[in-house]
Amino acid sequence: MDAGALKNEALGAIEAASTPGELDELRVRYLGRKSELKQALRAVRDRETGMALNEARVAIEDAVDVRQSSLERAELDRNLTQDVVDVTLPGEELPLGGLHPITQVRRIVEDAFLGLGYEVRDDREVETVEYNFDKLAFAPTHSARSSRDTFFFDDTHVLRTETSPSQIHVLEEKAPPIYMVSIGRVYRRDAITATRYPIFHQFEGLAVDKSLTLADLKGTLLHVMRALYGPERRVRFRTHFFPFTEPSIEPDVSCGICGGEGCRTCKYSGWIEMGGAGMVDPRVFENVGLDPEEWSGFAFGCGLERAAQLRHDVPDIRVLWEGDLRALRQF
Amino acid sequence: MRVPVAWLRDYVPLEMPLDDLATRLSVSSAEVEGIERRGVPDQDGNLSRFLVGRVLEASKHPNADRLQLCVVDVGEGEPRQIVCGAWNFGAGATVAVALPGAVLADGLELEQRKVRGELSNGMILAEDEVALGTDHTGIMLLDEILEPGTPLADVLPIVDDVLLVEATGNRPDLLAIYGIAREVAALYDLELAPPAGVNPERTGDEGIDVQIEDYDGCPRYIGRLFRDVAIGPSPVWLKARLHAAGMRPISNVVDATNYAMLALGNPLHAFDFAVLRDGRIVVRRARPGEKLRTLDGVDRRLTPDDLLIADAERAVALAGIMGGEDSEIGESTTDVLLEAANFEPFTIFRSSERLRLRTEGSNRWEKGVDPYLAAPAATLATQLIVELAGARWVGDTDIQGDLPERPVIQFSPDRADRLIGIETSAEEQHAILGKLGFEVEGERVLVPTWRARDVTREVDVTEEVARFRLEDVPFTLPERRAMFGTLTREQQLRRRVEDVLVGLGFVESYTPSMLPDDETTWKLSEPITIELTALRTRLLPSLVEAARRNAEVGSRRVALFEIARVYLPAGELPDERLRVGGVAEGGFAYVKGVVETLYSALKAEPVFELTKDLLFHPGKLARTAAGPLGELHPSLLEGTWSAFELDLSTLLEASREPVTYVDVITFPPVRQDLAFAVLEEVAAGDLIDAAREAAGAELREMRPFDVYRGNQVAEGKKSIAFSVSFQSHERTLSDEDASGLREKIVEALARRFGAELRA
Ligand SMILES: [Zn+2]
Repeated sequence: MDAGALKNEALGAIEAASTPGELDELRVRYLGRKSELKQALRAVRDRETGMALNEARVAIEDAVDVRQSSLERAELDRNLTQDVVDVTLPGEELPLGGLHPITQVRRIVEDAFLGLGYEVRDDREVETVEYNFDKLAFAPTHSARSSRDTFFFDDTHVLRTETSPSQIHVLEEKAPPIYMVSIGRVYRRDAITATRYPIFHQFEGLAVDKSLTLADLKGTLLHVMRALYGPERRVRFRTHFFPFTEPSIEPDVSCGICGGEGCRTCKYSGWIEMGGAGMVDPRVFENVGLDPEEWSGFAFGCGLERAAQLRHDVPDIRVLWEGDLRALRQF
Repeated sequence: MRVPVAWLRDYVPLEMPLDDLATRLSVSSAEVEGIERRGVPDQDGNLSRFLVGRVLEASKHPNADRLQLCVVDVGEGEPRQIVCGAWNFGAGATVAVALPGAVLADGLELEQRKVRGELSNGMILAEDEVALGTDHTGIMLLDEILEPGTPLADVLPIVDDVLLVEATGNRPDLLAIYGIAREVAALYDLELAPPAGVNPERTGDEGIDVQIEDYDGCPRYIGRLFRDVAIGPSPVWLKARLHAAGMRPISNVVDATNYAMLALGNPLHAFDFAVLRDGRIVVRRARPGEKLRTLDGVDRRLTPDDLLIADAERAVALAGIMGGEDSEIGESTTDVLLEAANFEPFTIFRSSERLRLRTEGSNRWEKGVDPYLAAPAATLATQLIVELAGARWVGDTDIQGDLPERPVIQFSPDRADRLIGIETSAEEQHAILGKLGFEVEGERVLVPTWRARDVTREVDVTEEVARFRLEDVPFTLPERRAMFGTLTREQQLRRRVEDVLVGLGFVESYTPSMLPDDETTWKLSEPITIELTALRTRLLPSLVEAARRNAEVGSRRVALFEIARVYLPAGELPDERLRVGGVAEGGFAYVKGVVETLYSALKAEPVFELTKDLLFHPGKLARTAAGPLGELHPSLLEGTWSAFELDLSTLLEASREPVTYVDVITFPPVRQDLAFAVLEEVAAGDLIDAAREAAGAELREMRPFDVYRGNQVAEGKKSIAFSVSFQSHERTLSDEDASGLREKIVEALARRFGAELRA
């Protein structure tokens, strides 16, 4: 028999088989015990014929296998097209919570300062009058010392009114250069309204090094405000007064709602107040035993609530404190 | 401070747009929080319809008893007939008239109309109709020298803008119109007029008996005596200015003192001289138990910290804060003693604080008023009292202690440049200082008296330059020699705790640090609300409250967490510990799963123990080293709720990061299921601990997967099934090895707990 011709005939038929049944029939016809090929193989006497027949057998077997898997795959795909879901139905409801907007802002601030090489810290909230006021050079007549403005426990203990005591703590703990940001809760004796809450959060930065300038402070705050509010924001500075900085300034960031044109959020000024800042007052250096001739520094403090409110357009600060899931799940 | 722009123009010529002025002041001097437009609209020729008029005839309206029918000359040749409801004037009065078509301050347009049958061709104005005041009891009477037909806007600020300036605490000089004018003049390089006020001629030389017993509290006291004073209302222009500046006009003498204070910044006081016993003024501290009824009618109990103005016998004023009722200027007052003094800030601050009494005066004194301001303030008030009340100035005294010297400061423009970070020529720096009243002589700067408290060091002088250059200072970053910043391990792990809880479905919530009163902890001496009185020692009460509110409004799958401090009483300051607390719907197994997952995320092994805690279900409660977890006590919330409150640093300390690799791949484990029947009270955890002790490290895992009670085990017993795996990281365990380990476990559990292995 002609092994080559048989092989070609078989391969053509296998390729043409369109169902597993047809393929089975072909397998029996060409490879079954009674098939022409098997009979010829049993009868073979010379090596050459044997090799040709064997080669044909292997080729036919391979072709059957290949055709088999392709037919099976086609059948599977046919079946799968019947198995259809409504893709518009919702997915399984998996538990997922969320971070509070103030935590989100806290992380942005932390990351921005980490990028500038600052360490992150927090200090105690119950402070002594010494650390909250005296060492920060608050005048004896400063209104913050009043029990109308500040929560006192007794004559010498208060809830810190700003994160600034951290400046003293870090300066007493380690030698400059210092680059730190302190983030935490602070307290003022304000009645609870849509815009005021007696507890809020601040971040306080302090840099102490050789020959720092007011320009460095401006640049640092620009960087952080843009990290918080976006790269297109502009920042301006106004002169101000704080006991522990001199010169003192207040940073404003351009209003993101009106783009600086003036709107209700920015009280039609185009600018939004962000906090306070300034060059470390020499008195503060003296209070912690550093030479103001040798070291200079800058400090700044800003509220996290304000940032969270602006980022998410939350008009009422109480939303941040009520723990209402209908609000919190949006953030 | 409310700064009427028309008043400001008295001292400095303003030509710039107001918005620009507001911005420049905000950046360099004091924040302008807004500009208030006042008065009548200044558009469509509205101002031309407001004129000075003279009443030619005034008689009763023929058809109405309560109206006057007037004939008024407004400079038009032909006088107008105007019907008026006020009776405080008659023929010859000089008045303010609005013509038909005029739009008043409240936006109403005036029409020509008939009133009870008589034509009213205009309106005679009361001060509220043009926003010059609030008075509507009569019409405004103007100065008789004014010509009829004069535009009213030329003589009264019927259109004005008021700058709302928020001066910082170090700048009491900006609590005065003149002080603002000085800044404006410096910012725009404009000519500043000299301070207002010229002393009139003194017509007597009466002595005034002033004794200062406390020069620390009162370093200066100028007293001026006036006779033949005619108390009456102030002229309209003065009332209008006070009104625009936010003060209520009272009488000519009192208004004169307030006007001088607003103009120059030095609070003044006027006494009815006739009631001062022995005509004497004594400045002293209060005696223990001494009392004073102040102008507001309140009886004040004083202490020796309070500084008083007294007469020969008794207190007549709380120095710098408020006058006494007895010596108040009244309608019948004819002799007035004017006080232009200087008081020490802390004394005033302390008294005003203790008495909860803040006034325009105390607000200025406690910031430190220039003691050299007393004289010009006295001058301005004297001029006004003489002019407005027809008074004779008959006595003058000026008692002074040691007044402070003007500070002299060594100042280097180069060093200022180095702090500010921008170059400003020495000439420019000196020019800025000069415009602000500093005198520069070489490297020495002499500070003006009105800044002497605030500017005492070189850096303070530098700030004066910096605030004028603020917008030009570039944005730079520090030139660091070393840059390195990283979160501490605790800060990193805290973020992980937050993220894991979020992944488990918990929503982060912030709750207040204070709770209602609790005797055991730190308490605020003056809380603002009973709800926020004592520092909390637990997070859970607030979180349970929040969970309750959420359940009440129908929120589903409530799960809240918070990381915040508790304040544990401990010596001089409380021990402030960060805790992570959570409250969620679900039972004990759920919350235990949450806590186990937290530990697992931190690569830590929790050990659970029994504990007691009143917030929890007493039978479904455990603790790890970091704190309790379990089902909430059913009395707290309806349904099955669970909670945990863990000390964050204890939790983080348990973290075993980085973990050490253990080979569990090379040598396969042998797995078996073992079930033991034990008495009901035996805990699964105790069985596992005993098994570990008996089998050692090759007992890789032993995990309960079923607890069975029923007829297959004896009464009072339960069967606990464990899936157990044995594994060595050194060799493949044989069947004999495994059964040997199993025997050890079975033997130990039988011996220690009477546990029977079930087939
Ligand atoms: Zn805006």
